[in-house]
Amino acid sequence: MTFEEIGKRFGNRSVLAGVSGQLRPGVVLVVTGPNGAGKSTLLNILSGLIPPSRGVVSYQDGGSELPRERWFSVLGVVAPDMAMYEELSALENLRLFTRLRGLPSSDASLASLLSELGLAPREHHRPVAMYSSGMKQRVKLAQAIVHAPPVLLLDEPSSNLDAAGHELVAALLARQRASTAIAVATNDPREIAWGDEEIELAG
Amino acid sequence: MTRWKPVLVWLLGVWMVVVCWAAFFYAPTAQGFKGESARIVFFHVPQAWVAVVAFCVNLVASIRYLRGRDPVDDIRAAAAAALGLLFSVLATISGSIFAKIMWGSFWNWDPREVSIAILLLVYAAYFALRQAVPDEERRGTLSAAYAVLAFVTMPFLVFVVPRIYWSLHPDTLINTSGRIDMESRMLQVLLGSVAGFTGLFAWLYSLSVRLARADLRRRQQEGG
Amino acid sequence: MLAEALAVLAKELRSELRSRVALNAILLFALTTLVAVAYQIGPYRIHEEDRPHLLAALLWIILFFAATSGLARVFVKEEDAHTAKTLRLAARAGAVFAGKFAFNVVLLGTLEIVVVPLFCVLLGYRVAGPSNLVLLLAAGTVALAAVATMVAAIISRASGSGTLFAVLTVPLALPLLVMLIQGTRAAAGSAELAAVLPALRGIVSLAGVTLVSSVFLFPVVWHD
Repeated sequence: MTFEEIGKRFGNRSVLAGVSGQLRPGVVLVVTGPNGAGKSTLLNILSGLIPPSRGVVSYQDGGSELPRERWFSVLGVVAPDMAMYEELSALENLRLFTRLRGLPSSDASLASLLSELGLAPREHHRPVAMYSSGMKQRVKLAQAIVHAPPVLLLDEPSSNLDAAGHELVAALLARQRASTAIAVATNDPREIAWGDEEIELAG
Repeated sequence: MTRWKPVLVWLLGVWMVVVCWAAFFYAPTAQGFKGESARIVFFHVPQAWVAVVAFCVNLVASIRYLRGRDPVDDIRAAAAAALGLLFSVLATISGSIFAKIMWGSFWNWDPREVSIAILLLVYAAYFALRQAVPDEERRGTLSAAYAVLAFVTMPFLVFVVPRIYWSLHPDTLINTSGRIDMESRMLQVLLGSVAGFTGLFAWLYSLSVRLARADLRRRQQEGG
Repeated sequence: MLAEALAVLAKELRSELRSRVALNAILLFALTTLVAVAYQIGPYRIHEEDRPHLLAALLWIILFFAATSGLARVFVKEEDAHTAKTLRLAARAGAVFAGKFAFNVVLLGTLEIVVVPLFCVLLGYRVAGPSNLVLLLAAGTVALAAVATMVAAIISRASGSGTLFAVLTVPLALPLLVMLIQGTRAAAGSAELAAVLPALRGIVSLAGVTLVSSVFLFPVVWHD
């Protein structure tokens, strides 16, 4: 996936100017910068949620260009401003997200994914509203990888997580790295350390 | 073209004065109407006509905006809608005055009356929506989507519902056989007035769009 | 895509059954209004010749305003709970609209199943053609849900307020309501299908036209 000369302005404010880069499997791209520099905005543009004011984002699937309507099937996203469905349990949430992409899933595989991410089995059926913020973050991570997407866009993936949780995310990244194009937006130096390439956005 | 503009505008002014004079002195008194009240048709019908024209201009601009996201199209849509609102208000008022004179009450729930009032509500809703969206691009998208939706449901009101109901509206203009029944001098003044009001709309519209475009350019330059 | 839409519908139903916010809101509104009206009017206070008109209109006023108090929730709660972004990233726009539209149909249908029989009983509404009425209700539910779901999508991206939803829905729903009231009157008066056919045709085409435009408009509104 490539992005060229991305610029974004909101009204009169220019948030991003001339940002370019590439995402490919095996390389973790880290986007850093002070608060307000536009890290989240960049990730929003890369995931297709916001159109850029300038520049082009393109997803290549083995030589052919993927139209924007299909990006959802190849993307896994984690962001602080997105939430899980609180009235549903973690398992129900994951079931929904796999069905939405037309993928088959068994409760057993979903449950094992949740356990891998540190959610005890007794929690799987409780509504997300009753989870702690760390647990909610783990569910978010689960929904991002449950459909094994080729592209992962992670905005502050280990926020709300304790040291054990942080280790988990690091291990996850290490496992996915070879087959997935990953971008991480963060200020956390521990997370920055995961990156092979870096884009620094000025404030 | 710009050299001719002031000339055209002056011509428009003169034309409208002629139309106003003709409405009162040239056209004969219509049969079957109370006193001189039929003369209001020379103003009411063009106003309703312009309100519909504005709706169509808004629709075209909205569709273009949805395809190209050009801010100028959003400006055009908003300008057309503002004028549409103005003329639907005028049409409703002139229609009510006529209704009061002819039938003794300002509002009679005649389907055509209701149609123009609903057009007014659509315009008002359009602006209420625009007010509620601070982001320019999204404002354009949402109001364009609403405009298209409104346009799509309009025909039902104007064409389908009146077939189900009878109408108070005078059938002097277009009756069931489709012939135009008006006396020729009245028809001349009416068509002249329609032309004049359309010209008025075109002039106000182009002014409004030019003003908004200049404002947009200024803001874009300031943003740098 | 059907499976995806069903997944959305299932999610909506599950959420609603657990929290029952929308259902409570619309049922409460409808029942309160119904009881208040029935208490004042009752089965005997309207003159026989006025009954068909008044009762048909009253029924739809109650249903419509109850609907506006609950049909927007399907999108507004997503934006409020911040799950809209998650859904946007995980699902196809068409599936989202189809699922939520279906949910609104179910919601509206539930409202009608509860309110209509109660209305007939409390206000002594004798319906000569119950099957006609059911047909009309079915068509009306689909049409009203179509309009409401599309408008709900629009306002959820604006300020999402209930007032804005009502302001935008009223002009679009008025032609539909007129046709529904007319059709209900016809259904109450006769068991012949031919009596409700004109209204039915109008309602079904309005529903069709709205749904087709939503196919194009919804993705634009949903994806910003």
